[in-house]
Amino acid sequence: MLKPTLKALLLIGTVLLTSLSSPMVSAKGVYQSGPDFIAEAFNQPPNKATLWLTNDIREQAAEILGRSLPELRVRYHKLDNKTAWILEEIGKEMPITIGVVVAEGKIEQVKILAYRESRGGEVRYPAYTRQYLGASLTNKNNLDQSIDGITGATLSVWAVNKVAALALYYHGQVINSRDPS
Amino acid sequence: MKYKKSIGLNIRWHRRIGLSLFFMIIFLALSGFALNHSLGLKLSNTKLSSDWLLSWYGLEQAASDGFELDSGEWLYQAGDNQLLLNEQKVAQCQPPLLSVVEIEQQLLALCNDALVILTAKGELIESFTQLQGLPADLTGLIAQNNQLYLRGESGVQTFDADSLALAPSNISLLPANSAPTALPASIKEHLKDQEISSSISMETLILDLHSGRFFGNAGVLFIDIVGLLLCILAITGLLAWVNNQRYSKE
Repeated sequence: MLKPTLKALLLIGTVLLTSLSSPMVSAKGVYQSGPDFIAEAFNQPPNKATLWLTNDIREQAAEILGRSLPELRVRYHKLDNKTAWILEEIGKEMPITIGVVVAEGKIEQVKILAYRESRGGEVRYPAYTRQYLGASLTNKNNLDQSIDGITGATLSVWAVNKVAALALYYHGQVINSRDPS
Repeated sequence: MKYKKSIGLNIRWHRRIGLSLFFMIIFLALSGFALNHSLGLKLSNTKLSSDWLLSWYGLEQAASDGFELDSGEWLYQAGDNQLLLNEQKVAQCQPPLLSVVEIEQQLLALCNDALVILTAKGELIESFTQLQGLPADLTGLIAQNNQLYLRGESGVQTFDADSLALAPSNISLLPANSAPTALPASIKEHLKDQEISSSISMETLILDLHSGRFFGNAGVLFIDIVGLLLCILAITGLLAWVNNQRYSKE
């Protein structure tokens, strides 16, 4: 009678320990530095440039992000009609640093450079980020492709969606303004 | 005879579990009672002020030091990685705030993980982070002859706040332009008010203790185990009583 009781307790303990340790498998970390991402995105060194966020741009960007932008300017890299952006957006509580490469108005690459949340790090997997390839912006500043979500990573997925749309919008502003760089 | 043996086993385990859970049962009952009457006991209005408890919850204590600007305003860090100009939140960066420099209508604040560039009014122009190429070993930012220099463990570099370009330099730097000093009483008072109003309530503390969350995942697991043992306590008690009834009939 004692042995089955102990076995049952051990089984319950194992199940609880497994459920306890699963959230500890954290996705937190820096996966690639900004300079490395830029070097990888272009065949030759791109031009560094700055996009000053005018009131119009800030208004549209705020609409895309669903929040106001605190900063007055954004850095980017440009070569011909290709731009690369390193942007941050909060998933649940912490900012996710995301690199986006846009060429000819379409997304060429999305990469999670740094992930700081304890959950939802699945968005960094290429199987997920690959969905953004070829996406462009609709007239309403939304992505023209539907992106499949990830269970348990909804907020991170939303953050990546917003940043992808924002990078496309910034790209449009840079290309349309005929920036000297 | 079969019932007698079973009664003995159930009673033995019932007693063992009951004794080992004695204090937990009392605590869970009292904390549950307190939570049930939280409104009447005004637990949600009672804010924690213990520094130890606040730091356990990860709430930073109010800042005591900051950098005084030429204008008489103060740039300092407080709370959740917030950089503040007087009472206005201007940016986020990791503490400590190492240096503050005023140059050409701009304010530059070097934090642990970023160099924050602000207008003189405190509007955020941009943050230059380590991920974007800011060296990780920096110890100070210095303005000398209208040129910005970043001092790090690996040497000195010139810094251009417009292009964010860095270049090695052999210059002998003067001491830092300014050093942190104690914040004025008015700002400290404001921070203390902010800290208390956003503090943790007694209700949250009791709820976290009741659920075990106060001690993280291990605490939750412990309370789970206590819950399971309470179930076993009830089952062994019931079995002992049922078997006792059957034994009496026999």
